[in-house]
Amino acid sequence: MRTNSLAFRLVAGAAVWSLAALVIGGIILSMFFRDHVERSLDDRLTLLIDGLAAGSDTNAQGRPILIRPLAESQFDTPYSGWYWQIGGPGPEALRSRSLWDMVLRAGPAVKTVDGLTLHHAKGPEGQALRVARRQILLPDRDQPLGFEVAADLADNRRAIARFDQVVAWALGVMGVGLVVAMVIQVRFGLLPLRRIRRALVRIRDGKARRLEGDFPREIAPLAGEINTLLDHNAEVVTRARTHVGNLAHALKTPLSVLGNEAAEAGGPLADQVARQTALMRRQVDHHLMRARAAATADVLGARAEVAPVAADLARAIQRLHRDKGIEIAVDCPADLAFRGEAQDLEEMIGNLLENAAKWGRHDIRLSAARRDDRLEIAIEDDGPGLAPDAMQRVMARGERLDETVAGSGLGLAIVRDLAELYGGEIRLDVAHLGGLAAKLRLPLALG
Amino acid sequence: MRLLVVEDDPDLARQLSEALVEAGYVVDTAHDGEEGHFLGDTEPYDAVILDLGLPTLDGLSVLERWREAGRDMPVLVLTARDRWREKVAGIDAGADDYVTKPFHMEEVLARIRALVRRAAGLASNEVACGPLLIDTKGARASVHGRSLPLTALEYRLLAYLAHHQGRVVSRTELIEHLYDQNFDRDSNTIEVFVGRLRKKLGVELIHTARGLGYSLVAPGDAD
Repeated sequence: MRTNSLAFRLVAGAAVWSLAALVIGGIILSMFFRDHVERSLDDRLTLLIDGLAAGSDTNAQGRPILIRPLAESQFDTPYSGWYWQIGGPGPEALRSRSLWDMVLRAGPAVKTVDGLTLHHAKGPEGQALRVARRQILLPDRDQPLGFEVAADLADNRRAIARFDQVVAWALGVMGVGLVVAMVIQVRFGLLPLRRIRRALVRIRDGKARRLEGDFPREIAPLAGEINTLLDHNAEVVTRARTHVGNLAHALKTPLSVLGNEAAEAGGPLADQVARQTALMRRQVDHHLMRARAAATADVLGARAEVAPVAADLARAIQRLHRDKGIEIAVDCPADLAFRGEAQDLEEMIGNLLENAAKWGRHDIRLSAARRDDRLEIAIEDDGPGLAPDAMQRVMARGERLDETVAGSGLGLAIVRDLAELYGGEIRLDVAHLGGLAAKLRLPLALG
Repeated sequence: MRLLVVEDDPDLARQLSEALVEAGYVVDTAHDGEEGHFLGDTEPYDAVILDLGLPTLDGLSVLERWREAGRDMPVLVLTARDRWREKVAGIDAGADDYVTKPFHMEEVLARIRALVRRAAGLASNEVACGPLLIDTKGARASVHGRSLPLTALEYRLLAYLAHHQGRVVSRTELIEHLYDQNFDRDSNTIEVFVGRLRKKLGVELIHTARGLGYSLVAPGDAD
């Protein structure tokens, strides 16, 4: 996941927040557990003090005696961690066997509950002890005695440490689980964006003209805007093409009139007019073609199926040359498409077929195929063909090898210009049928 | 041979008309789509030159309407729109050929000759009938290699019969194809012209089918 991504932002944000929540939750749990463990130890110590007090009495000398010892055996095992002491550190004090010859010296009180004070102390073997003390007035005594019961904190600390460990593991696993869930959720949530991307790729590849599909409410406006933009783009192109067409129409009729008038009149002025109108005609044709093609070559989403274009043109040209009995055999896979405007493909194939029909005797073959991820279209005729040096010359703009066959001579040059605008090329070769073969290589629309 | 030119530009229409008349055709002119459609629908033309960009009714619609109504005269489309899509649309609508503007007048004349010839089922610009040879390109006729001094109307009459040789052509049909729409038609003039033509030909090629019309038959083919 790259750092500059929506998914990273969402996951990182959620991860920081979850981590903080988990750490705080863990600390609170741990504190609560510590408090609980401490409180239950204190309760137990209180009970033990009460039991000690209940089993104590005073002898004839007024010294405290234990008439009923505590049942717990830990108090009889030396240094067991559980101790009691009645009467403070003085010599007349009673002490549990577990203390052996040691004296319990409690530190300052850390807590006071109902006359009970709680202290920390150091045990016989350096253990950390929790000590509960209560001043109790025994019968026949005027001074209260200090009853103390102590317990080793090691058990508690072990329990707390184990609890902390368990909590840390549990919360850690939960944290990892949350992050994983977050990643999945974010990916799922951002799926529509991927779909938009794929749809845009389809448009770039010319497989679609608009963003198709049902997008979620949040990004539907974005898809709508993109579609509006695409429509606008297409509209601008169409409008430009219409203007260009209108300009062509507007210019060509007067050019016809001028040319015909000059041809009729004769004389040097008429010759000059005829030459200039011919030049104007070529310029108009050439530049209009460039303008139309330049407006369309880079349009997103342009795609033209080859087969229908080839079929339409073959039908039309066969009809035009039906006197000659021209037969055009079209061999084009149905799924082959040109990455560009249909009109430009029509211009290229149309001009080449027209040339072939003009020069061919009877048979013309139009074949299209996919080769090396390019679209290759070959148009062959059974006419006289061209010598290699003539092939080079004929590609030059406006060159005509035979002025007696009708046509402006721009045909091949227009095809070459169009092919080059699309980053393609045209080559002339000797056809299998014996005549000329024109081979176009053009960008292929994938899919 | 009677032609219809449908072209909205008055200068171009005049040039076309003049060039065609000079080439031996009878020409009617229409300046908008409605008028062009009406003329083509009601008058028998041997070919039509139709501009596609027309006021009131565009050329493509005119053409489609004619074809739907069964009018099958050859149509040469004249268009400034030179993209293949437009050419294909024109041909699919029923055009027989097209010429893109700007054009050379000779090109239009050549295409019209080819269309008329094709409609008559002929293979070249020369039509022969026995010793008679008609050069449709030069609008000339000769018998046994001797050039005939024909007037424009006589040439048109002879060419029309030659294009339909072997078939009896009625006087009405001849009038319709030899005169433009503004001519005051009188079928008796046809008889006069046929008489003159027979004299100039010097050979018995034009036969009269009494009450029906005339036919041009080569001597060997006569029944």
